[in-house]
Amino acid sequence: MVAADVGFAEASWIMVVKSLVIFAVILGLVPMILLLERKLLGRFQARYGPNRVGPKGLLQPLADVVKLLSKEAYKPDAAVPILWAIAPALVILSATATLAIIPFGDVADGNVGLYGIDVSIGILYAFAFGSISFYGLLLGGWSSGSKYSFMGAMRSAAQLISYEISMGLALLGVIMMAGSLSLVDIANAQADTIWYVIPQFVGFLIFMVAGFAETNRPPFDLPEADAELVAGYNTEYGGMRFGSYFMAEYMEMVVVSGIAAAMFLGGWHGPGPDWLGPIWMLAKIMVLICLFIWVRATLPRLRYDQLMSLGWKVLLPLATLNVLVTAVLVVVT
Amino acid sequence: MEQVAFFAGAIGALGGAIAVIALRNPFYSVLALVVHLFSLAGLFLLLHAEFVAAAQVVVYAGAVMVLYVFVAAYVGGVEEPLWDAIPGQRILAPLIGAALFIELSIAVLGSGLKSLGDEGEVIPAGFGSPEAVGRLLLERFLIPFEAASLLLLIAAVGAVVLAARRPAPVDRGGAA
Repeated sequence: MVAADVGFAEASWIMVVKSLVIFAVILGLVPMILLLERKLLGRFQARYGPNRVGPKGLLQPLADVVKLLSKEAYKPDAAVPILWAIAPALVILSATATLAIIPFGDVADGNVGLYGIDVSIGILYAFAFGSISFYGLLLGGWSSGSKYSFMGAMRSAAQLISYEISMGLALLGVIMMAGSLSLVDIANAQADTIWYVIPQFVGFLIFMVAGFAETNRPPFDLPEADAELVAGYNTEYGGMRFGSYFMAEYMEMVVVSGIAAAMFLGGWHGPGPDWLGPIWMLAKIMVLICLFIWVRATLPRLRYDQLMSLGWKVLLPLATLNVLVTAVLVVVT
Repeated sequence: MEQVAFFAGAIGALGGAIAVIALRNPFYSVLALVVHLFSLAGLFLLLHAEFVAAAQVVVYAGAVMVLYVFVAAYVGGVEEPLWDAIPGQRILAPLIGAALFIELSIAVLGSGLKSLGDEGEVIPAGFGSPEAVGRLLLERFLIPFEAASLLLLIAAVGAVVLAARRPAPVDRGGAA
């Protein structure tokens, strides 16, 4: 293998099977999250949510997917042909590649690790692939040849560089306490002690706020602010190309929730026998996703200058202070 | 497998670098530079320098190039001036290029060639990991590292001071 050093390397065929399982589980999870979001949003807004397709509206995501798949693949005349087609694929690539480092358990039965890969650079892998998703948004917006798309792409560029720094600094506290970059090691470090969400509460808050911004979720959905930009960078997209952007947003939600669950909420550790581990991890991810939905239903969208001053004047100094205090405490104790 | 990865990375790096100077549209040049940087990161991975590869992608492709793209997308359509912006540019550029080439050749001949062989350099365990890079930066190369960070800090403060001299109009939620 030419890839990075792994903490525990399996045979190639096991890696392939693992990739397929992760892919199948997450692709199965995305429509369920979609339905959960629409149902919960309905309840938050004192209405029922989708309830027509199938029993209790359970088949609604299926209907949505069929609708997207059967739409005409339309391309505006002003769009730049190849870049316009590549952009949605880049977003999906980045979201699926990042899924690989989310651990659902340690090395089980002595031969298979319940994670995609455990690279020595750990969490940096997620940031590296996260930067590819930015190019997906930017190319999509720029190559559409539309002012709304362009504005959305530029906003996403500014938002990304403003919040990525705080996001990284917020995780640095946890990394210093655990003494490792690997998500598996960090989750294991929380096995016998309290979860890092308690000593690193400030870090957790900063990470979640920056995570909302990185995934373009409300209240930070300025790149696609539908009230002013129609749909921002994906205005000109239709059919499954739009579907790719849409799906990637939900996969990125799973990724951010997964990283937060592994780094702050103890990962797969929880009461009960060991085989419950992956279920605990999935449960923690789902709780965090419900938080995403709750915030979407509660908070209005920020104004653009508010977004920038929150990122640079509040989150960044707070995250730096958090790192400094943690560093001093780690050295002293 | 390694050969395939190496040639894919090498073609991407060289092709991207040539495209940066060959393409007319500055936006495409910036995109070519992004391809070049990603290919370089792949080559770093082949050299067992995982941390450098990740830093390359996060810092250059993820942050520096975002600013480049930002500027190129906003002012991209401007026509190039027909005259040289810097007098004597056409003579100076090859000279500086040649000097850089000679310097790099000395560096490569001085150090890189000893790892050429049938097996290549023996790589110790943990080489290129964040721990190893951190040790080098904070122990052996502490003073150059701190000097570089001070220099960057001064440059950033200087940029803010220079930008603040002009009375800027108050920005109320315009496009970035």
